[in-house]
Amino acid sequence: MFDFKLSTDVSKGSSGSSRYDLIIVGGGPSGLAAAIYAARDGIKTLVIEKSAAGGLAATTDHIENYPGFPEGIAGSDLMDLFQKQAVRFGAEILEFEEVTRIEPVRKGLLRVHTASDEVFEAKLVMLATGSKPKKLNLPGEDEFYGRGLSYCATCDGPLFRGKDVVVIGAGNSGLQEGVNLLSYARSVTFIEFLPYSIAEKILQERTMNHPNSTFYFNHQVLEIKGDKMVTAVVMKDRATGEVKELPTEGVFIYVGYSPDTKFLGDLVEMNQWGYIKTDTQMWTGVEGLMAIGDVRANNLAQVTVAVSDGTKAALAAREYLAKLEE
Amino acid sequence: MALLNDEIRGQVRELLDAMPDVVRLVFFKLPEDQCEYCGVIEELITELAETSARVVVETHQLDADKDVAESYGIDRAPALAIVGAKDYGLRFFGLPANYEFSTLIHGIQAAGHGAPGQLEESTLSYLASLNAPVHYQVFVTPTCPYCPGAAVLAYDMAVASDWVRAEVVEASEFPEIADRYSVMGVPLNVINETGRVEGRAPQQMIVETIKSVLA
Ligand SMILES: Cc1cc2nc3c(=O)[nH]c(=O)nc-3n(C[C@H](O)[C@H](O)[C@H](O)COP(=O)(O)OP(=O)(O)OC[C@H]3O[C@@H](n4cnc5c(N)ncnc54)[C@H](O)[C@@H]3O)c2cc1C
Repeated sequence: MFDFKLSTDVSKGSSGSSRYDLIIVGGGPSGLAAAIYAARDGIKTLVIEKSAAGGLAATTDHIENYPGFPEGIAGSDLMDLFQKQAVRFGAEILEFEEVTRIEPVRKGLLRVHTASDEVFEAKLVMLATGSKPKKLNLPGEDEFYGRGLSYCATCDGPLFRGKDVVVIGAGNSGLQEGVNLLSYARSVTFIEFLPYSIAEKILQERTMNHPNSTFYFNHQVLEIKGDKMVTAVVMKDRATGEVKELPTEGVFIYVGYSPDTKFLGDLVEMNQWGYIKTDTQMWTGVEGLMAIGDVRANNLAQVTVAVSDGTKAALAAREYLAKLEE
Repeated sequence: MALLNDEIRGQVRELLDAMPDVVRLVFFKLPEDQCEYCGVIEELITELAETSARVVVETHQLDADKDVAESYGIDRAPALAIVGAKDYGLRFFGLPANYEFSTLIHGIQAAGHGAPGQLEESTLSYLASLNAPVHYQVFVTPTCPYCPGAAVLAYDMAVASDWVRAEVVEASEFPEIADRYSVMGVPLNVINETGRVEGRAPQQMIVETIKSVLA
């Protein structure tokens, strides 16, 4: 069903102040959880989010393993509740504003620069920028993006009602969104590089037992083909070497995620994939700068974990801010 | 049951009461048996008008009031024209639900202030130099968190320039139009039929696309 949610308007949303105790970059589950704890503690908190708040969790059709929702809940509904709870305690949320640079000035002062040339100041900054879908870097992948190729089934799925679609990647995300696609599409074909699925059993059962699904394991996708729009996927059977062409109108790619941390330059220590290293209290090593959620190195990409990170960081932030006052 | 709860009404009232100009939501509908969401849209805009005196509603049957529809350049329904002190060319086709409710509210605000939300200096100066019509369509779905960002840019540009007409189209409700423009992903920006930008694009990219289709 539909509902009516209001994003804070970029032009009129914030209080107009540009000084905060805490600025959280990214309004996904980790950032919103930290905002709930911090704002409830009386910490003046601003969340800056480049699109609508909710993060990746809001782009998933259904979340079934977040405690407290025995029937599961739509990702966007769950994130709506997070947001309401943060706002209720006085956190400000600025949406459709992208952070482009973090500038540590001195102990107790960091500047946060945005794409529309605004500058905000905070005593403490948390990076909660999560990750974005990985590309396969296949021939045709960029060309057909938005022309039948998508990284968000929740966004684009409704456009494929009654059509034949392909999901590349049979991990948790691919199968979860596959369940959603199976409710719109005429057929869903899953292609997985590995000889088996690493997804949760319950998702495997739901998709594999569905009459309109087909699975190709141990197959490597080589190319996305089309003229104006996607018309086929070319794949290779890794066991036999046989190359096949599979006609399709839609391709959804779910082959994992990678962090979007280039905007930080070499400000913080990262691992080889660009995930930010922290200690157990979420500190990055840069004075006043923390990182939480999926963007953190060696973390599990789950809402519960993102929430846990946000909680730990908010409690450490309280201590840090109290010390600054002394 | 009301569509908008007290909390949302409170937020909306604060935003809309601040508008210097009254905004008229001109709604074109179809007979109920041909339109899944017309009733919901009518209810929604009526609640908006109840919430703030700065919003008024005017409803037409698309078929019966063809002339009126034509005067707004509207050829299909459900459709909303968002009209401020003048008609800036803001249109919404379909039900503005979920994320798209924010798009509607932003459109109303832009029309009611007669001023765009956030356009860069370079965008404004380019728009001021326009001298040919720009038909700027943005295709969206209600479940797409990236879409309002694209849609409100179109509305802002339309308010900033009399040459720009901004139509936001809920693609899953208009399959034929979605097919005509081969909408397979949202948001999709289409400018004067031939200029096509996938995804939520920076202002500069939209400006470049307008330049290239007008050239
Ligand atoms: C299809 C799918 C299904 C999933 N299913 C489940 C599930 O069933 N259960 C579960 O527990 N988890 C699930 N997950 C994982 C879960 O969504 C993530 O672990 C969680 O969203 C991580 O939260 P986060 O706050 O760390 O980051 P994100 O949710 O990624 O949020 C980061 C936010 O930061 C913003 N941002 C990035 N850069 C900037 C910038 N420079 N300036 C401003 N803002 C910025 C982004 O726009 C984004 O909104 C699923 C994920 C996907 C994709």
